[in-house]
Amino acid sequence: MAPFIFLENIVLADAAFEATGDSPSELFESAAQAVIETMVDPRTVAATWHRIIKRQDGDLASLLFDWLSDIVYLKDAEGVVFRTAEAAVSHDAASGIWRLRGTLAGAPIDVGRQDLRADVKAVTKHLYEVRRGERSGQETWLARVVLDI
Amino acid sequence: MQLNTTMAVNRISDEIWEIPVSEKPGMLVPARIYATKQILTAMDSGVFEQVTNVACLPGIRRYALCMPDGHWGYGFPIGGVAAFDPREGIISPGGVGYDINCGMRLLRTDLTLADVQPKLDALMTELFRKVPAGVGSKGFVRLTRQEFDEVLRKGARWCIERGYGWSEDLQRIEERGCIAGADPSKVSPHAVERGIGQLGTLGSGNHYLEVQVAANDRIFDPATAAKLGITGHDQIVVMVHCGSRGFGHQVASDYLKVFEKAMKRYGISVKDQQLACAPFRSPEGQDYFTAMNCAANSAFANRQVITHRIREAFATVFGRSAEELGMHIIYDVAHNIAKVERYEEGDLVVHRKGATRAFGPGSPELPDLYRETGQPVICGGSMETGSYLLIGTDRAMHETFGSTMHGSGRTMSRAQAKRSVRGDQLQQRMAARGIIVKAVSMSGLAEEAGFAYKNISEVVETVDLAGITKKVAELRPIGNIKG
Repeated sequence: MAPFIFLENIVLADAAFEATGDSPSELFESAAQAVIETMVDPRTVAATWHRIIKRQDGDLASLLFDWLSDIVYLKDAEGVVFRTAEAAVSHDAASGIWRLRGTLAGAPIDVGRQDLRADVKAVTKHLYEVRRGERSGQETWLARVVLDI
Repeated sequence: MQLNTTMAVNRISDEIWEIPVSEKPGMLVPARIYATKQILTAMDSGVFEQVTNVACLPGIRRYALCMPDGHWGYGFPIGGVAAFDPREGIISPGGVGYDINCGMRLLRTDLTLADVQPKLDALMTELFRKVPAGVGSKGFVRLTRQEFDEVLRKGARWCIERGYGWSEDLQRIEERGCIAGADPSKVSPHAVERGIGQLGTLGSGNHYLEVQVAANDRIFDPATAAKLGITGHDQIVVMVHCGSRGFGHQVASDYLKVFEKAMKRYGISVKDQQLACAPFRSPEGQDYFTAMNCAANSAFANRQVITHRIREAFATVFGRSAEELGMHIIYDVAHNIAKVERYEEGDLVVHRKGATRAFGPGSPELPDLYRETGQPVICGGSMETGSYLLIGTDRAMHETFGSTMHGSGRTMSRAQAKRSVRGDQLQQRMAARGIIVKAVSMSGLAEEAGFAYKNISEVVETVDLAGITKKVAELRPIGNIKG
């Protein structure tokens, strides 16, 4: 199953996608990659810039929302686009806290070298959904996200 | 008539349709849609759902409105207008949009198509060089945090003080380019970090800088056109569509989060998470209002710096100063904003989301220059078709809280547009029609193909027939810069 697919029929003016993973970590990576590919063809981006992001939240959906929003923020604040995103998500059952350690790799924006796409304005809560499911007896995670372009 | 809704939609006139309060539990006022029958039948289901959701918001007055370019948005539909009592009502980022004070600016010139045609390629190349566009683009103005705060407080006024424009420019900008009561202490460090390097940049998506022609046969009201500076005879004008860039986007995102929590405290429930709101007079409501005003001022400043660069580019290419070329601003209008304005009911918090202020003749808010004509209204079409200059009317003041349409509105998804044409094909096709396009992103260019949008002329006809704005001139593109 593809880690993400873009959804066409729910937004006309913007971009929407559905990301999946066999674990929250995979889901966070898939969703991040969808945001990255909305902005740029990552194959045209070097990995000369790196950033580690640590976050925690009692709500997994909020944690994912903030992780994706971090990517949008860094694009403007640091002037970079991204090649890869890695995520390690863990859950502390005692406190109910979800923890993320994310690693982004990319490079400063370079119009001459990179195939730039859309300048994402924001991650929205429109039709936003994170849910746990099951496929062939195995746990799966799914997120639906709409980006304002 | 087959509509994309099961709700009752009653005809008020050929251009006004009403959904009564009985159609959705919680509606406090009816919803009114400005559209011809043809436009109404093509409207997506989101418009009907969202405009009736807006009609449920606390403190709303008269009607929840949607203009004929309306389509599905976040919270409010694009094309949505709603006014709230400041004592009992709310303010909502969903009624403004992520791109706070996204708006249009139109400059005139004394040049004609005959003057520009031989140098059009050089002109577009110079404009493309001078006005950065595309993902995360940075502007030429380097600012300290203190200077950026001044931009947020003063808007276009800061630019004029720094030499990025003429003093006369201010009277040709909505709110004279500076909304009072902008407090930079109410914006997050993240918002500042996203926006501090972006002054004077276009962005991407449907934002553009366009060189256009005003031909005699497309001037509908020559007397008003002349008063606005449109003389016809294939006159060259320049249109800019952009907003507050990453700064405004972050302000909107930040306050949606604040309002989600605040709603619980104030016992407000909404039909859609993107309609998160707070009482206008609550601390959260006032904080958003002042932060939104910062973003509005940053957008006025952004379009002002772009204007400065456009004037420089024309001066370079044509070897004459911008003053000699007659490059006056015609007007600059916001189409994503919330403002306190005075109507028959008293002060109201008017939200316009993809809708333009369209004040009529005699409005005290207008500069002397336009007090007699009414406010110029600038509506951008797709990059292939054309755009319009209109004028505000007294009727809009009574019917639509002085508001009208803002553009043409999409009818096709970005992905479908990209499947239908490649960016380079579109660029060649437009070149064959005499339109030079410079774009940072070829896929982004394909997404903005003309066939992905409604026919703007039909939308303009609706507001003209409804009398909430009147057509002045249609402007045809010959050069376009996109992110």
